[in-house]
Amino acid sequence: MNKGLIIAAVLALAPTFAAAESFKDAFEMNRAMYGKNHTFTWQGKQYTTMHEEEAEAAVKATKANAEALLAKAKAKNAEVAKLGYEWKLTRGILTNAQTAIDKGEYRKALNLAAQAKYHARMGIQQYHYAQANWYLAVPQ
Amino acid sequence: MKIIRKLALGFAVAAATHITYAADTGFDMQTVDPEADRIALQNYYKSRFPNTEFADYVNGIYSVDADSREQWVELEEFPPYEFDVEKGEELFNTAFANGKGYADCFENGGIGIRHKYPYWNKEEGTVKTLEQEINECRVKNGEEAFKWGKGPIAQVSAYMAWTSRDKVFDIQIPADDPRAKAAYLEGKKFFYSKRGQLNLSCANCHLQGSNIRIRADLPSPQLGHVTHFPVFRSKWGELGTLHRRYSGCHKDSRSNPLKPQAEEFRNLEYFQSYMSNGLVANGPGARK
Repeated sequence: MNKGLIIAAVLALAPTFAAAESFKDAFEMNRAMYGKNHTFTWQGKQYTTMHEEEAEAAVKATKANAEALLAKAKAKNAEVAKLGYEWKLTRGILTNAQTAIDKGEYRKALNLAAQAKYHARMGIQQYHYAQANWYLAVPQ
Repeated sequence: MKIIRKLALGFAVAAATHITYAADTGFDMQTVDPEADRIALQNYYKSRFPNTEFADYVNGIYSVDADSREQWVELEEFPPYEFDVEKGEELFNTAFANGKGYADCFENGGIGIRHKYPYWNKEEGTVKTLEQEINECRVKNGEEAFKWGKGPIAQVSAYMAWTSRDKVFDIQIPADDPRAKAAYLEGKKFFYSKRGQLNLSCANCHLQGSNIRIRADLPSPQLGHVTHFPVFRSKWGELGTLHRRYSGCHKDSRSNPLKPQAEEFRNLEYFQSYMSNGLVANGPGARK
């Protein structure tokens, strides 16, 4: 057998087999299995299964904090809308968050704003995934 | 030295595999090959549904699901779109306030031309659809544009489709204008890109998911999708256009839907219509 060819093939395929569990995979598996606020270890360090928006919402329920998170959520949704990947329910959630602020329900507003921002962030991720991978489903 | 030569050869083989793959998939302006796409799609369905004749794909889900077909054949004994075709004919033949009519706006007086849409308009640098030109005709002659999606626009379109029945789709992508190929590629990309909270692409339901149940529904095959539009959907209880359906599908994946006749939807129609080249126009249709 041609040793050069074998070595080259092994080198070419090595990333496929050597790929360790990514942080994203580890996070998603732990999140799916244990929900939020679970602690897990990845590559020797400890992490929690909180989405970044859940961490942002875990602040004191004040009008200022609720308005700040809502503003962030609106900005993120405008970003995903520009890419053409806005999700259907997000605008309604933003409206409900504003209504909650108007009623003085700041905890509810923080949670809704966090949800809307998460939707928008996922939509942006989805856009980038589609840009890189859409062709994989095309019949050959 | 010998080892280096062998290593170089090995890497060349590995690299060539990737290059060939890229060439086959046709996912950029250098490699996209609409005719290869169309043939690959036909072959996919030949393998998926070996008992379905190519020509029968104009009948959507009824070409691949026998039970649904039985119900549809009964429905077609008294087609629910008949009154709409009559109304469409009446609208088509009613002169505008300036004395002109639709026949003045279209080739061959608007009769028997449905299968030529959509087409690439070089002057405007965009894909033009039949419904788009129906409304442009109205506006050019001092009339208000119809609302997109349903009602009179679908009725006029249905009548024009009716006069075009059995004419073969032969959508062109002019080689002398790369923007046409870019529009086709955008349409193709749209079809295969996952969107919305449910993370679904058109292809998930209408390619891989053809004739696989989604709750109570059986999604139709992508091949032949556009041939029978506009359609009278039992779910709607009325006639609607292709872009109304696009918006509905978009919503079903929990995407914020684009508006009918948005450039993205026209490009999608261009791609889908090219995929149906060789099939006949059979609109309007009746669907579940």
